[in-house]
Amino acid sequence: MTSSILIIIPIGILIFGGFIIYVVCQNFDLCNRVEALLTVLILFGALIALLMLYQQLPTITKNPEIYFGMETFGGVVYKPDAYGVFILIIALIVGILITIFSGEYLSKDPRYLVFYPLVLMTLAGLMGIFLTKNLFNLFLLTELTTVASSALIAFRFQQEISIKAGFKYLIMSSIGTMLLLLGIYYVYRSTGDMHLYQALTVTDTFTRIGAACFLLGFSLKAGVVPLHTWVPDVYGHAPSSVSGLLAGVLSKSMLFIMPVICLRLGLMNRELGVYLMLFACLNMLVGAIRMLKQPLLRRFLSFSSIGQTGYLMFGLGMGFYYGLDQAFSAALFLFLIIAVMKSLAFLCVGIFEYYYGTQDIEILKGAAKEMSLPAVCFSIALAGLAGIPLLAGFIGKWMIFSTAITAGDIFAIICLVIFILSSIISLGGYLPMIVKLFDTSSESSKTLLFSSSGRRISPWLMIPVALLSILVVLMGVYPTPWINWIDQVINWIVV
Amino acid sequence: MTFDILLPGITLIPILGVLILLVWQKATKSQAAIIGIISEGFALIIPILLLSSLKNNGEIVFSLRWIPNMGISFSLALNWLSLIFLLTEVLVTLTAMIYSLGEETGEKNSNYYYALLLLFSLGMSGTTLANDVFLFYVFWELMLIASVLLILLWGHGEIRFKVAFKYFIITHLGSLMVLVCLVTLYINFGTANLTELTQQASTLAQNVQIFLTLFFIIGFSVKMAIFPLHIWLPDAHTVAPMPVTIILAAAMLSMGTYGILRFPFTLFPIEILQNFAVWMMIAGLISEVYGALMALAEKDVKRIIAYSSVSQMGYILFGLGTLTASGMQGSIMHVVYHAIVKALLFMVVGIVISVARERDIRNISGLGNKFPALCVCAAIGVLGISGMPPLGIFNSEWMIFAGGFESNISMALTVITLIGSILTVIYALRFFGGIFFGEPKPEDLSGSTPRALIIPTIAVTAFLIIEGLMPGPLLAWTIKGLAGIFGGLN
Repeated sequence: MTSSILIIIPIGILIFGGFIIYVVCQNFDLCNRVEALLTVLILFGALIALLMLYQQLPTITKNPEIYFGMETFGGVVYKPDAYGVFILIIALIVGILITIFSGEYLSKDPRYLVFYPLVLMTLAGLMGIFLTKNLFNLFLLTELTTVASSALIAFRFQQEISIKAGFKYLIMSSIGTMLLLLGIYYVYRSTGDMHLYQALTVTDTFTRIGAACFLLGFSLKAGVVPLHTWVPDVYGHAPSSVSGLLAGVLSKSMLFIMPVICLRLGLMNRELGVYLMLFACLNMLVGAIRMLKQPLLRRFLSFSSIGQTGYLMFGLGMGFYYGLDQAFSAALFLFLIIAVMKSLAFLCVGIFEYYYGTQDIEILKGAAKEMSLPAVCFSIALAGLAGIPLLAGFIGKWMIFSTAITAGDIFAIICLVIFILSSIISLGGYLPMIVKLFDTSSESSKTLLFSSSGRRISPWLMIPVALLSILVVLMGVYPTPWINWIDQVINWIVV
Repeated sequence: MTFDILLPGITLIPILGVLILLVWQKATKSQAAIIGIISEGFALIIPILLLSSLKNNGEIVFSLRWIPNMGISFSLALNWLSLIFLLTEVLVTLTAMIYSLGEETGEKNSNYYYALLLLFSLGMSGTTLANDVFLFYVFWELMLIASVLLILLWGHGEIRFKVAFKYFIITHLGSLMVLVCLVTLYINFGTANLTELTQQASTLAQNVQIFLTLFFIIGFSVKMAIFPLHIWLPDAHTVAPMPVTIILAAAMLSMGTYGILRFPFTLFPIEILQNFAVWMMIAGLISEVYGALMALAEKDVKRIIAYSSVSQMGYILFGLGTLTASGMQGSIMHVVYHAIVKALLFMVVGIVISVARERDIRNISGLGNKFPALCVCAAIGVLGISGMPPLGIFNSEWMIFAGGFESNISMALTVITLIGSILTVIYALRFFGGIFFGEPKPEDLSGSTPRALIIPTIAVTAFLIIEGLMPGPLLAWTIKGLAGIFGGLN
């Protein structure tokens, strides 16, 4: 059966590509850009394979006979879901852009050789998480993602702070994966199986404890308040391209795998909804408030990322609590735009950091004079995140609004009020950043000596940023195709 | 021949102008101004061309699919109500653009300056024309963003960052309240089209209607700068460059009025609004008195006129609150007259500041002898705002108070408001007397009034007199404009 092989091809391309790149580059000592290009090729291959899989999805999801692997005891089953493939497509696209960006961004780093294989491994792990239907396999793949991404975070190991950040991520994420392991234990103890091909027919206290473990474990990885403490340190000190990948795609996608597992293990829809909505409020508030007065751009973006995790949880939570389809499409749309806007913001910070060696907004004041294009793109990203009309963020805001008002009961309204509150508070974070960046009036005695040295911004850095900015504007002005796509995905999800 | 097809041009041609200005980096100020004025001019000519068609049809609608699966379209509608606001706004913007030529504002990066002025105006004309709640909000926010950027980039002093920030946050809060209402409407009927919503809105549950009305009125009152939601206004008006202040005070404030008329007043039956009538009147009264008192207490000439806006918006809300035809008609006319008078007064203030290089009214006096033309314009403006016949505001205030007496809600409130209007006369005369009478101060007054500034000022003065003497067309338009309110009010 061709279609069952198709399921495994993208992940295979990524893993083997990673090995090949590593070996080739070690032996031939290729330069950073060539390696980046090779990686882009591999990612493109995986993307094409994934798109082919996407074409086959209607038949695959409807037909229980089509899967990859063995359904026997201890066997591993891979079967794609529509939303999973959707998320993976976004992840790969962001991954491609980030790899192009790294082609210049990492040129000053001696360790670029291991960077690209690690990116591929991270994405492969993520892909596996969404494809596998075996709990133990899920655990292994989560671990793969964790280890690879913590190596990425500590990529600049000559800086002590990066080591600390990587270590922190490793510890925190390992606690998360340990919780998953504990959850697997409880499920195995109760059912004697680790398949999650279908929802469990018989659930008892143990599977529910297992579900709770999974809930906690994935919450930790997604950075749900109060388990968010690692987020600012990690995103703040990792290289910008890595932060963009982590904040934009990786940690947010955990929110989408969490409900699937937990529901199959016997958690009620409404319980999950309450959990998500309650903690969404916390996330939105903490993210918005801590975001204020953060001078370091990446740290600032990490707090805003915590807020966006809250928005996603709010959307998903309403979907589960009220059983609203439109909430799921709102959540998927939010995921899409947050991935684009967040990675755009991080990449712009990366450009500033690359040329000025700092990410402190107080030093970067008035940087727009020299770097107008990145500054404009950064403003687009921030304004989009703030939900200004005609940018992607506003459509997401509109969808959340309309979902909450459709739900219409007091719980949703309270959460909506908190959502509004946090979006106003967060304006107090986004606006001053944009203003400071364009504040050319203040004393120009700063040490920004970029244009005087006659250099131009490298196209390697500029192309991904420009593409992402165009996407942000396009999704805001004409969201119809994206919404159509998401509607299609929602229709394919077989509950 | 019908010109209906031109309707989207009111929004599209300014966009074209913006694009040209963005690309044309090397444009000098006058070149940028020409592009700006021409593209804004289309926004003035097109509605005039559409007048005859409007007379026949009552409404001209243009619609284009935009986000079909969310029921959102790019839909514009021109009716008599929006026509009045549209023309006011476009005329004010044109005046401000011409006035900018005599000012130093926008000497640097003038292409961006005029592009932002165009966007600001586009936001307002889009707001008046939008026939889709989603589109309405987009334009509504565009108006805010453009004005914030104008204040940020060309405002006076370091304080402008804080002021622009405050302005953005507070008005955005109002916008979000409006957004909640718009989304509620959209959800309940599954369409964003305003015509369809207007037909169906009165079928909503009563408490929902009351809730929506409340939120709409509060949300739009923020834009109208009604006490105590006015706190953004004095600072924003003071810090903004003079042409932007003119647009803010004369045109943007009236968008709040338009919002109230277009949404709660058009969507819901009069029974719902009656719950709020007396509160609107009280809020209007408080604003009127408070604004006038603050204008009396202020020392900064620009802030005096800024607070006068708070006071004048009080009249408008009061007139709306009467829920009578003459009260609302008076309010709409007040919007128009206030726009002219306020533009005139700010233009005068701009010239005063530029010749005296001083903003404290205690340090300016005796300009009357030296600048007779300016003095005459100021006198007419001051008489205008005090409600002296035959200048326009007399007509509108007359109708507002007539509405108050007709409404039978509270005679006492109307009487107090009527008496309160004496405060307007006091601050207006203090302003005029302080600046133009007495010993010339400061001593080193610079030469003559800049010609580029005084000519538009005189033109606006003349326009004010003409409008006051011939209120006929405006009266007729406002009566037609009220046709859609409360599902047809007689």
